[in-house]
Amino acid sequence: MAAFDYAPAIAVLPLASFVIALVAGRYMPKGGAFAGILATGGSLVLSAWMAFAVAGGDTYNESLYTFVDAGEELSLHLGVLIDPLSAMMLVIVSLVAFLVHVFSLGYMNDEGETGLPRYYAGLGLFSASMLGFVLADNLFMAFMFFEMVGLCSWLLIGFWFRDAAPPSAAKKAFLVTRFGDYFFLVGVVAVFATFGTAAFAGAESFPTIAEEALAGGSEGAGGAAVTTFFGLDPGAWFAVIALLILGGVIGKSAQFPLHTWLPDAMEGPTPVSALIHAATMVAAGVYLVARIYGFYALLPTVLAVVAFVGGFTALFAATMALVKNEIKQVLAYSTISQYGYMMLALGAGGYVAATFHLMTHAFFKALLFLGAGAVIIAMHHGEDMWEMGGLRKKMPVTYWTFLAGSLALAGIFPFAGFWSKDEVLYEALVHGLNDPLLLGAYAMGLAAVFVTGFYTFRMVVLTFHGKPRSDVARDPHGVGWNVKFPLVVLGALAVVAGFLNMAPVAELTGLHVDYLHQWFVGPLEATSLETYEGLIEERAGYEAAELSPLLPAAVSLALALAGAGLAVVLYRGAEPTEHTDRLGSAKRVLASNYYQDEYQVWLAEGLTARVARAADTFDQGIIDGVVNGTGSVSLLSGSRVRRIQTGVVSNYAALLTLGLVALLVVLGVTGGWF
Amino acid sequence: MALPEWLALAPTIVLGAAAFALFAIDAADPRAENGALLAGTATLGALAALAFAGWALIAGTGTEEPITLFAGQLVVDGLSSFFTVIVASVAALVTVSSYDYLRGRGDQAEFYSLVMLATIGMSLMAAANSLVTVFLALELSSLPSYALVASLKRNRGSVEAGLKYFLIGALSSAILVYGISLVYGVAGGLRLDAVAEGVATTDLTGVLGVGVLMVLGGFAFKTASVPFHFWAPEAYEGAPAPISALLSSASKAAGFVVTFRVFTTAFGLDLAGVDWVLAFQILAVATMTLGNLAAATQETVKRMLAYSSVGQAGYVLIGLAALGGGQNAGVLGASMLHLLVYGFMNTGAFLFVALAEHWEVGRTFEDYNGLGTRAPVACVAMTVFMFSLAGIPLGGGFFSKLFLFAEAVGAGFWWLAAVGVLNSVISVYFYLRVVRAMWIEEPGENLGRIGEYPVGIYTAVIAAAVVTVALLPGMFLVDGVASDAAAHLF
Repeated sequence: MAAFDYAPAIAVLPLASFVIALVAGRYMPKGGAFAGILATGGSLVLSAWMAFAVAGGDTYNESLYTFVDAGEELSLHLGVLIDPLSAMMLVIVSLVAFLVHVFSLGYMNDEGETGLPRYYAGLGLFSASMLGFVLADNLFMAFMFFEMVGLCSWLLIGFWFRDAAPPSAAKKAFLVTRFGDYFFLVGVVAVFATFGTAAFAGAESFPTIAEEALAGGSEGAGGAAVTTFFGLDPGAWFAVIALLILGGVIGKSAQFPLHTWLPDAMEGPTPVSALIHAATMVAAGVYLVARIYGFYALLPTVLAVVAFVGGFTALFAATMALVKNEIKQVLAYSTISQYGYMMLALGAGGYVAATFHLMTHAFFKALLFLGAGAVIIAMHHGEDMWEMGGLRKKMPVTYWTFLAGSLALAGIFPFAGFWSKDEVLYEALVHGLNDPLLLGAYAMGLAAVFVTGFYTFRMVVLTFHGKPRSDVARDPHGVGWNVKFPLVVLGALAVVAGFLNMAPVAELTGLHVDYLHQWFVGPLEATSLETYEGLIEERAGYEAAELSPLLPAAVSLALALAGAGLAVVLYRGAEPTEHTDRLGSAKRVLASNYYQDEYQVWLAEGLTARVARAADTFDQGIIDGVVNGTGSVSLLSGSRVRRIQTGVVSNYAALLTLGLVALLVVLGVTGGWF
Repeated sequence: MALPEWLALAPTIVLGAAAFALFAIDAADPRAENGALLAGTATLGALAALAFAGWALIAGTGTEEPITLFAGQLVVDGLSSFFTVIVASVAALVTVSSYDYLRGRGDQAEFYSLVMLATIGMSLMAAANSLVTVFLALELSSLPSYALVASLKRNRGSVEAGLKYFLIGALSSAILVYGISLVYGVAGGLRLDAVAEGVATTDLTGVLGVGVLMVLGGFAFKTASVPFHFWAPEAYEGAPAPISALLSSASKAAGFVVTFRVFTTAFGLDLAGVDWVLAFQILAVATMTLGNLAAATQETVKRMLAYSSVGQAGYVLIGLAALGGGQNAGVLGASMLHLLVYGFMNTGAFLFVALAEHWEVGRTFEDYNGLGTRAPVACVAMTVFMFSLAGIPLGGGFFSKLFLFAEAVGAGFWWLAAVGVLNSVISVYFYLRVVRAMWIEEPGENLGRIGEYPVGIYTAVIAAAVVTVALLPGMFLVDGVASDAAAHLF
């Protein structure tokens, strides 16, 4: 199929724009922005072509370039896997990257920022890395690009490196995600050591081998050849591997407890926040689990961990968003919370629900970030919502699109977020009725719906409604077409993307409107939805309870409306007042983000640094002390020895003779000569 | 076609021919200062000897069945050929570099012919198979050495060192010849096999023991082992640097081969009442420790190298000190390998000092500051020598020392290896001091005279460096030869 021959170009085009912006950006108009726009536009077109090809029933799974080929033992290679999942993700990533490039014209160029070639080079490299990650056909390649994504986020978050906060935030993002990535790296090595391959799909892929090994084990037949370690049986060992990989996922997707980097990363330029922290980098973690879902689906314990971490993060992060005063901070915590929903869905066996929410969230969260960016432009780079107010009339395009995104985020019918979040919760519920742990995760997810509705509408009302509360808000800065265009595109998607998969409607009416389900049933058997559903039932032992989707949907919609309504009631009016004091001491806990940063700083400074200092003291004092002691002792005795060499030859003769006599005495006594 | 047996001595014979050719040239034109001809003749002789000895090893001349000559007075076997290779290599490096070192001096012919004569003595020491030939060969190598150390006739240090070397040498020779006479008195024979028969059945343990120890003392002088080492630092420091190289590398190796052969063949490990292995253990520990400790406190590079060469002799002594542990061929072979690598790395280091003397940069560590900026190639070579001497894997010295310690541990003498490792740690300090001075410190004003780059010394230094590095991977080519040669002694 000709389309797939161009697949590598999807990642190579932004890479070329990176090189162009870096080398020639300063000589080009707009600091190299157009190279990036063209490249990501090209990637978008190619991605759409891939999606059509996949829709036509084709898939692609080829190795392109081999680094190391050690035969059966080990093969490290770059390759491309295009199936429904990666095709969908390619479209999302290249679309958001394209729109963010356009938006940057308004946010960066028009605002007279310096260092633009560096900025566009970073965006280009980031897009290339993320697209390369999505294209990857094996875990090793995925890891490489995963790390490049991390590097790019460091470069971009710290873009304003002359201020104090951005470099620190960049470092924090890099270090915290790196902490997770250590586990991932060990997991990659473990996969190679266990299966001898890290391929995602195909007969020789590690999920397939794992499934055969487990099937062989349970049926008593000889399973496929896997090597386990520490004397664990394959099931337990696979769970260890899956948890190790999950470490990288939790870091990148900002799940509890490695979520602390994401709110700080808001120090980066807002388009970067839209690209990295809404649609792509954070999505990488969830995408990775979806990518090797055939492996996770074999392991019920790990799935339960995934679901519980997801449900907990969804609620936990949402509560922190309640008391934030800066618009981007609210969005940051909402991002963490929404990725929690995706993890919950994956853990609950809702593969389609998770990827559906991944898609809708990418659209509406990118929209909200870009809308926030437009507000920030208007506010002359002020972010405090208490300084805003009344922007609705001054910037109608931003307001209406932002409202569409907020309705989607809050999960209000019929916006995109409603459909996807509803399906997440439905999957968690039907599988959770037989599993108390899942049910707990579902309960947390459901509670988070109310909280989400509240903080979303608190943000909307404070920003756009009421009367302007500052001079800047009375006379906001206008925004150009390059800001409005991405907002409109994404706004439209936030409204309609949910119609791609109206599962409850399909259930009720029998119409085949669950297009995404059909999409994922897909042509490639190993990664098709049917395979995953089979595995979830057989291997993980999940049973779906019979339940109408209508009631749960109504419950979650009611909760979302209640939350949103409460926010509107509390904060409406010309001069809204702060109500956070009513929370009492809980306010301080929430505003301090549950002291997560504090304990992690304590872990680093109080514990790790202290242990390191103790080790250093031991090394300096004991180890080096002995070595230095040996040194000074030897120098001291050396100078004594030197004094023997008097330069007087008769002394030498005497010493020589005495030495011989001493030898004679020693040997004579031991030999019994006398 | 069977070659006549005496041709097995071809290395020694060509060295002799070179010596006589040098005499002839000098006799024909005594005033000539044709350094190239003289150095070329001597180098040719040394290289020819190296080629013959190397060929003997490759072709297996005497390696399986030793060739005895002159009624058993001399023997050609793997051991003798192996050490002739070492000795001839060092001699070649020394004569090549002397071409520059001696330029403009008189009496060059006698210098080269004395070098050749000393080398003949050393190659004969490798082949000596009777206490008489041992003594004669040892004197043949020693007497020219005394003169060579003093060959800078207008230099007080050189003359003084030569005199001290001679006095201590005379004392040691007296001890040796007295020891030989006592052994002869007990054994009733001088050929090593006859001695072996004689001492096996004797009751005169005390007399024999004194004799054995005095013989050991005579050899310890040659190998510069404590407490017979006192001449070494002064002779090495006072002598022209190429001669220091010859004495500390080739002469030491020759001293060791004679020790190996006499003690394993004539006295044997079963000598009742005379635990000479214990004596070597004491010597090894004392030599290693004293040599390295003293080297650590030196101010001048040449004297540091002098003490380092004492310390290195201590490592080699492990080969004798760890005998009787069931790994005899292994430890002795490891000693031989260490002497082989040492022949190149130590010669190269002294020749680098010769280069520094040629440039008159000075003698202390500080004087070498920043030399790397002016003479990078030579300094890279010196770095190789220092690392290899310290046992860091940039040269073959790493493997030879590793084998030595590993074999000692394998033979049950872990404490010998432990002492060796401790000493190696100390030695890193003073070896790397040179490297640090050359590469890290800022250059001083004393480097201004470095204008020309002497071809001969450069050739020799770089050749030594190349072989030192090549012996790192090449160790596995020669270790079989060494352990086979060692195995034939038992």
